[in-house]
Amino acid sequence: MAKKIKLSPMLKEVVSQIFRVPATQKYPAVRPIVPEGFRGKQIFDINLCISCGLCASDCPAKAIEMVNVEGKKRPLFHLDRCVFCYQCAESCPRNAIKDSGFFELASTNKYDLVIRPEIDHEKGSEE
Amino acid sequence: MTSVEEILTTLSKELGEKMLQTPPSQLEKVSVRVNAGIHRDALKILLDKDESAGMSAITGVDLGETIEVMYHVRTHGIIVTIRTQVPKKDPRIETITDILPGANFHEREVADLFGITFEGHPDPGRLVLSEDWPRDLFPLRKDAEITNIESKKENITALDESNQSSDEGVLTTVIIGPQHPALIEPEKFSLKVDGEIVKEVKPRIGYVHRGIEKAAEKRTYLQDVYLVERICGICNAYHAACFCQTVETIMGTEVPARAKFLRTIVLELNRIQSHMLLLGHAGLEIGYEPFFQYMWRDREIAMDTMESLSGNRVIASFVTIGGVRRDLKEERIPKIKAGLATLKKRMVFYKNLLESDLTLKMRTKGVGVLERQDALKLCVVGPVARGSDVKMDVRKDEPYAAYDKIPFKMISYSEGDSWARLMVRLDEINESLDILNFALDNLPTGPYRMRVPRIVPAGEAISRVEAPRGELFYYVKSNGTAYPERVKVRTPTFANILSFVHIAEGGNIADVPASFVSLDPCFSCTDR
Amino acid sequence: MSLDFTLVFRALVFPGFSFILLLTFLCDWVERKIEARMQNRMGPTYTGPAGILQPFADFIKLLAKEDMVPRNTRSVVFKLTPILSFSMFVFAMFFLPIDGSNVILNSGFQGDLIFVLALVSVANFFLFLSGWSSSNPYSEIGATRVLTQFLGYDIPLSILAFGPALLASGLSISTIAASQRIPFALLLPWAFILFIIAVQAELEKDPFDVPHAETEIVGGYETEYSGRRLAFLKLAKDVQIVLGAVLVAELFLAGPYGPVFLGIPEFWYTLWFILKVLLVVVITEYLTCIFARLRIDQVLVVNWRLLMPLSILSLATAAGVAFWLNLGVG
Repeated sequence: MAKKIKLSPMLKEVVSQIFRVPATQKYPAVRPIVPEGFRGKQIFDINLCISCGLCASDCPAKAIEMVNVEGKKRPLFHLDRCVFCYQCAESCPRNAIKDSGFFELASTNKYDLVIRPEIDHEKGSEE
Repeated sequence: MTSVEEILTTLSKELGEKMLQTPPSQLEKVSVRVNAGIHRDALKILLDKDESAGMSAITGVDLGETIEVMYHVRTHGIIVTIRTQVPKKDPRIETITDILPGANFHEREVADLFGITFEGHPDPGRLVLSEDWPRDLFPLRKDAEITNIESKKENITALDESNQSSDEGVLTTVIIGPQHPALIEPEKFSLKVDGEIVKEVKPRIGYVHRGIEKAAEKRTYLQDVYLVERICGICNAYHAACFCQTVETIMGTEVPARAKFLRTIVLELNRIQSHMLLLGHAGLEIGYEPFFQYMWRDREIAMDTMESLSGNRVIASFVTIGGVRRDLKEERIPKIKAGLATLKKRMVFYKNLLESDLTLKMRTKGVGVLERQDALKLCVVGPVARGSDVKMDVRKDEPYAAYDKIPFKMISYSEGDSWARLMVRLDEINESLDILNFALDNLPTGPYRMRVPRIVPAGEAISRVEAPRGELFYYVKSNGTAYPERVKVRTPTFANILSFVHIAEGGNIADVPASFVSLDPCFSCTDR
Repeated sequence: MSLDFTLVFRALVFPGFSFILLLTFLCDWVERKIEARMQNRMGPTYTGPAGILQPFADFIKLLAKEDMVPRNTRSVVFKLTPILSFSMFVFAMFFLPIDGSNVILNSGFQGDLIFVLALVSVANFFLFLSGWSSSNPYSEIGATRVLTQFLGYDIPLSILAFGPALLASGLSISTIAASQRIPFALLLPWAFILFIIAVQAELEKDPFDVPHAETEIVGGYETEYSGRRLAFLKLAKDVQIVLGAVLVAELFLAGPYGPVFLGIPEFWYTLWFILKVLLVVVITEYLTCIFARLRIDQVLVVNWRLLMPLSILSLATAAGVAFWLNLGVG
């Protein structure tokens, strides 16, 4: 045989992997590092809201419902319909919607999946 | 390369008076309008001049009294459109499948969704709608009322799946799908086998049809960007980018240079993710599990990069009409480049593996061969075509985004078997890594987004991008409101489905999963 | 007739049934852990320390699930084959010396090597029957592949097994194991390698994984089984792997015999036995990880065109080595 038969590199690779630390991340014992700008659960600041309703009309998943809170229309976020595209945050003229790195949203309770707009009269800020 | 003017002059010379005036639109420079019936002659002229011309898509548009049928032919690297109209009361037109067999499924889809009968079609039948859909309801017509649909049992005609005997012996029917461990998404392939040899393959698609083209007409352009992104998870950035490019062509705007480079970066990152997923999946199908685990472990680098770039691991939601949605900060670039350098080193190992591993080559070399002339006749796109020595790549033929400023090579292999298709994808990962490094080093400064009006002026346009699976084609028609009139998507796997039939027929049944996976099927894209 | 306590103890507890069961779980755990580490992931981790109770937990879980018998099957065969094949494999283990002597003392006889190989074939045949009796096209294809594969590879397996028999001048496994002052793996290295390949094919592991190719035939012969019967079918498969490893260890690696330090020899014999079986399991797992799965026709080509001629050649050379050794010893 004139050509040299090349051995598959898998022969050595498999043996060397035995001595390496597994690549599995030990979640949930080890928390993952979420980069800045990650599109997790929304944070809504009711003091900045001007009730324009652009977030609700631009939402592609129809996940924002304008509800009446103390005489003004405020957005209610249905997180079970939301696709986390953050078009609402872009459309908002006052930057009232911001992102957080929180992504562990699985729940057995429907009420956990809704962000209600509520004014806290004592603190003057919201949820 | 023959220019557009030359093609159109040839067409008008040979068609003479049969060619009608084209209405003014962005498409006017590359389309001819003929009466129904003359479309066959126009197609034959184009095929004579270029033997590698292929049908890119067939679009139907409801114009009220008539339905316009447009044949988008890909020739000399550009798309030339042949437009005809059929009256709604009597929608019939002659088929072109005898001239170009690859148009088979395109015609069936228009027949299903618009109700046009293609006379002489060899195999008419439902393609994307289910069998019990009412026979007289055509969803994409403007006057279709899609509420309270009853499933009508008498409409169901089952496929002929009984064992039949022929001259050669008894043919058993083996059905792969809709649920099968070999397929990641549901489609049905009925194989008629004689012993171990496959004699006939009948595909049935449409299990994941969600009516996205109709849904796009009911949402604004901005909402549609997010809708088309979700046609397919693994090539989502391509759908968004192509749609945005089409709308920008209608508006006549050009995005800033930095936006073009950023779009290229997210597109190439998506290509790396997609090809790595496929290579791992191919390893799993042929029973090579360590290859699958290593490939998907290394793919995590690309997923983390996508997360830091766009905020999400899979669906990027990065591209929007007018540019991109967020900027790439300078301080993130070194970490991204370090990740890409690790990937490049690992790719050396995988290339070595694919070229020298004995059992891998025994399973993929010579298996599922697609010859060059069959590839041309079936109008296949993407790595399936490039693995059979058909040199087509939209990034080279009609550069979009920043591809005219970035040097890269087009990869093609000539063997046409599963091994060649896997090698094409592996080499494309290496090319994508080089493109990414070049783009990150030469990112121009400036704005990354420009303001665009919400109401798009009336017009129509076509755009194409080179998705990981091949050429992705979008046609958008706007009527001057905030809602599009018609959005047509032709995904690459839809164009490649006929090659499944061709590759499986005449081969061993044991080779079917291995050859199917090398064609990289993405059935969510196919069905929309 | 009084019940001999030693006999019952040896047959049921140690080194009999319970020991074999525990050894099976241990080998299964080692196999899964090594395979996971080769693929750079963790493997069983949470059940018991380092996941050692995982195979046991899987067995218990399956026992608790519903056990359905589909209507169209040949139900007597369908119901009995899992337990029959499991018991055949365990019975074959009884003839292999584990702690220096067979499970049932003095039950070895000349020719029990052939007896054990025949038992393995019968047990494999029961696995085929389990797939054939389910009325499912995937099971039938899986079952025929099992049949084609093990009938084909039984021949080189037996021919290669006669190599050590020639060197030991006897056909009883206990004699073969006891007469290895130098392990036969060193005297007949080519037979050792070929025997491991033949055992790999008998155990249906990569690259000869065809009967279990989930991507092509769903579950193979296990498709229609659920609940308790599936538990025993899987256990039968695991015992088969241990049996293959034990055969390799007995025939080529001097079985349980090795250096004895303080204490009773039986303890050391058992320890060496377990270590050698685990070594063979690791070697077969390594072979599994470096190869892809071959097609059924390629598997047959490897058998008839490659393994068969080489095993006949190896038998001839083994005869030559035996002759030369006996001449030298005198």
